[in-house]
Amino acid sequence: MTGARHITALRALWVTAILAFLYVPIMSVVLASMANTRYMRFPHKVWTLDAYREAIASFTTWQIHAISFWIAVYVVIFAVLLGTLGAVAFARFDWRGRSVFQRLLVLPIFFPQPVLGLALLLSLNAVGLAPSWKTAIVAHLVWIVPIVTLVISIRFFGYDPAQEEAARDLGANRWQVIREVTLPALWPGIFSGALFAFLLSWSNLPLSVYTSGPDTPLPVWLFSRTATNYSPLVPSVAVIGTLISALLVVSLALLLITARRLRAPRG
Amino acid sequence: MTPAEDVSNGRPVILSLAGLSKSFGSLKAVDDISLDIPEGEFLTIVGPSGSGKSTLVRLLAGLETPSGGDLFLREARITDHPANKRPTAMVFQSLALFDHRTVGQNIEFAMKMKGVPAAQRRQRALELLSLVRLPEAYYTRPVTQCSGGERQRVALARAFASEPEILFFDEPLSAIDYRLRKTLEVELKELHQRTRRTFVYITHSLEEAMVMSDRIAIMQDGRIVQTGTPAEIYGAPANRFVASFMGEVNILTVERGAAGGATFAEIGQPAEAPRGAYAMIRPEALALGDGPVTAQLEVTQRLLLGSRTQVHLVAPSGATLISELPGSAPELQIGTRHAFSFAPADIAWMET
Repeated sequence: MTGARHITALRALWVTAILAFLYVPIMSVVLASMANTRYMRFPHKVWTLDAYREAIASFTTWQIHAISFWIAVYVVIFAVLLGTLGAVAFARFDWRGRSVFQRLLVLPIFFPQPVLGLALLLSLNAVGLAPSWKTAIVAHLVWIVPIVTLVISIRFFGYDPAQEEAARDLGANRWQVIREVTLPALWPGIFSGALFAFLLSWSNLPLSVYTSGPDTPLPVWLFSRTATNYSPLVPSVAVIGTLISALLVVSLALLLITARRLRAPRG
Repeated sequence: MTPAEDVSNGRPVILSLAGLSKSFGSLKAVDDISLDIPEGEFLTIVGPSGSGKSTLVRLLAGLETPSGGDLFLREARITDHPANKRPTAMVFQSLALFDHRTVGQNIEFAMKMKGVPAAQRRQRALELLSLVRLPEAYYTRPVTQCSGGERQRVALARAFASEPEILFFDEPLSAIDYRLRKTLEVELKELHQRTRRTFVYITHSLEEAMVMSDRIAIMQDGRIVQTGTPAEIYGAPANRFVASFMGEVNILTVERGAAGGATFAEIGQPAEAPRGAYAMIRPEALALGDGPVTAQLEVTQRLLLGSRTQVHLVAPSGATLISELPGSAPELQIGTRHAFSFAPADIAWMET
């Protein structure tokens, strides 16, 4: 059938177009990192990996990665903790003022991040805290906790709270109910929430610019070096940073799959 | 003979409710209920939605704390014991299966909480699967891949796995299609006969209660208005509420102070009719032809019910009645008038 073949061809074209749209910009960063000029211009006269050698040898490269990494790790820990508790309050229980809480909670997401960053810097000044990577954690949390809360809350839709009563009826104490019923039901939400938290913090620029002080996270460094002192070092560091976060995501996913295999009942 | 022995034919009382009450704000969901449940009984509590039957069973299971009264399990006071400390298990309306677990893990939950070793748990779970007629292969199946009827059986096996002294059922069959429900009703009754455990079943369907129960308690507005065997309730409903619960019955009014009240007179007034009462006549008791009490009625509707025929009738007074006759009753065409009759003995009298 020619009609079916047309549709197959169109679908292939469509998929290719989407992938090109998503990946061509990323590829261009990789290409830019292999130049030896201070100007972004294609095609290169000389193809070289000098920028990568320089990046790997430079202390700054590892410092900015470490700062971003630790900010993201703390953000994940606090965001998951607060987000889980928030989700329970947000979606599981009905209480006076819940709808107000639900609206107030999502408000920071709609706030433009540069404005939020400035507001946070002003508040930090007001309470006398010097900006550093620690204050950047707080700033990221203000924006990321609502998102993580929403992501985890989604798990409560379609969740039958009678499961908790059933567990209790079958002899589980309060802690066992949480461990055996509530947390396993929330776990996929907690996992995606943690992933979101890490990636959103890892790549955040507008909040970090205002609140990280003398400590420079990866995105801030990339931004300022692109703006003022560009060299192929910038795209090469960007590629390294992307690889690191991709590696983290992939290894986490592998870990999860392995854990699921091990836990699966035999027979 | 004490009243407790009276209802149980000598069997000991396992659960005793003494003035049990539960209020939500100003609403009395359960209002001062006293009831003795003998060991091994299949008791069904029937009531419309909002009658408090679900709250009552939740009080018995320990999922709600009563606002008043006491609860005794074999004469030990358990009023304040939480659900996990009571030797009872509930099959929930939503079934409340653990969605992220397999059938086997669901069944083994109570044993896992008690610290039973895994091999022993598995052994027992497989026994329970055969008790509820599920193949052993289901042990490893995720509950999300089970059909509605299979989920019912898993919920039942899970409740049995905790070795409960009493099983509670909170309308577990209400969301199931008619044919499967009928099958499961019979299976549940058989399971009760085989295991001889005490079952307390909640439903809004008196028909379901009639099929399964040893004894029925009917609830209205937080109170129990009648208890009795299915035959007792069928034969002598305590009031119009209970009678109307049985589906299509004829309820006729005899006006207070006027024996031979307008409505009833059209059909015929039996001599022994007390004043100011309601009379219930079952559709099958209203027969075609002359009899002790006869009236001329016009057919307004005719419905074939397979082996029987139901006709809707109107009396000259305007009162409407229903009669059910065996066969197809070809002479009862719409618009024709016929003599219908019933015997005074077929009337169930109700004061309210």
